[in-house]
Amino acid sequence: MDFLFSSFAAALWMIGDLSPDVVDAVGTSLSVSAGATVFAAFFGVPLGLTMGLAEFPLKRFAITVLNTLMALPTVVVGLLVYGFLSRQGPLGVLGLLFTPTAIVIGGTLLAAPIVANYALAAVRGADPRILPTALTLGAGRMRAVCALIGEIRFGILAAVIAGFGRVISEVGVAMMLGGNIRGYTRTMTTAIALETSKGEFAFGMALGIVLLSVALLVNLFLHFLQQR
Amino acid sequence: MRELYRLHSVRRRFGAKTALDIDCLTIGEGRLYTLTGANGAGKSTLLNILALLSPPTSGEIYYAGERIDWNNGSVERRRRKVTLLHQSPYLFGGTVHDNVAFGLAARGIRGEERRRIVGKALDAVALGGFQGRNARELSGGEAQRVAMARALALSPEVLLLDEPLANIDRETSGLLESVIASLPERGTTVVMVSHDPDLPKRLNGETIFLEAGKIVPSY
Repeated sequence: MDFLFSSFAAALWMIGDLSPDVVDAVGTSLSVSAGATVFAAFFGVPLGLTMGLAEFPLKRFAITVLNTLMALPTVVVGLLVYGFLSRQGPLGVLGLLFTPTAIVIGGTLLAAPIVANYALAAVRGADPRILPTALTLGAGRMRAVCALIGEIRFGILAAVIAGFGRVISEVGVAMMLGGNIRGYTRTMTTAIALETSKGEFAFGMALGIVLLSVALLVNLFLHFLQQR
Repeated sequence: MRELYRLHSVRRRFGAKTALDIDCLTIGEGRLYTLTGANGAGKSTLLNILALLSPPTSGEIYYAGERIDWNNGSVERRRRKVTLLHQSPYLFGGTVHDNVAFGLAARGIRGEERRRIVGKALDAVALGGFQGRNARELSGGEAQRVAMARALALSPEVLLLDEPLANIDRETSGLLESVIASLPERGTTVVMVSHDPDLPKRLNGETIFLEAGKIVPSY
């Protein structure tokens, strides 16, 4: 237990001292996660809404596929994107491998199905009277859908936050596509994995505390919005 | 009497079940109709079709002499003339003003004119001054009146009402009944689902009986 307590104290000291390595890792994590979340929301929210509202052949099958993609292993996404971005890959010429952009691409692929599924669930859970009410009041189809989105905005927000949670907590994509380069692509999770394997348990714990704090802040933010 | 709706061989099926089977129905402008029948007789289905919210499986509908083509924008344009008030109306999150102004905003009515219309519609249902109230914190009767004000604000050619007097207290019911009774004088056609046998007489209206999706003669 002493080991845990002393590591915890050292971790708090590092956070309070704004250790450059901690600050770098936190900054990289937040920026790539935010970027991936924005793109995941851009693709995932319309996809989820469309799946929820539109009728098309094989819809049930498409939803099953979307559900399955939620369980996409991070290393599989990493492997796939690595294949595209590596020097021999079709997008190798762009030189994106082992850059923050590569992590954003991988994170987007990871988070988009989650955002889409949550958005789909929000649409399915919406009051069935919303659309007919908007339509009978003279709204066009687009305005009616906007009214629906307004009514389920907290569900959509929860979808985006769930996507953010997925990206900021994953390690496989960041490791494979970012390469864990110190001060450049090292994120909180890859730093935790590396430093702990080197025996720097306190450093890993410091980042773990920051990671949990970020998750807490995000949820407090959501709660704050819901209260308003 | 100008003919507003004409339904010709209108059928609506849900799977194998035929919910509505109307050979011919004419609805005149500025008249009040009470739609009655047992549960499952097709009343709500008919209201949804008249509201141009869901197309029939087959058959033709004419509105003001123009055949409704469900595959183009004419439905949206016509739908703006018709408003359906559900039995359990949905109020959007936000204020009472936001709710009553919803349809006005969809029609591009803004600013002072919108505020004036909203105020007038709320006054008509005895909710003057309720503009800033949270719509989700209203009682059932108040919510029903806000929904009525929201429909009245649009001055629709047709107001379709799905049991508007059910589940509300006597005072609110009396108020809404007098509001509804005054609509035909202003040229609004009213089609209203009700199980009250005395209502057509009180409102000087006609009755449409539905039985298993078919219109039957009233006795």
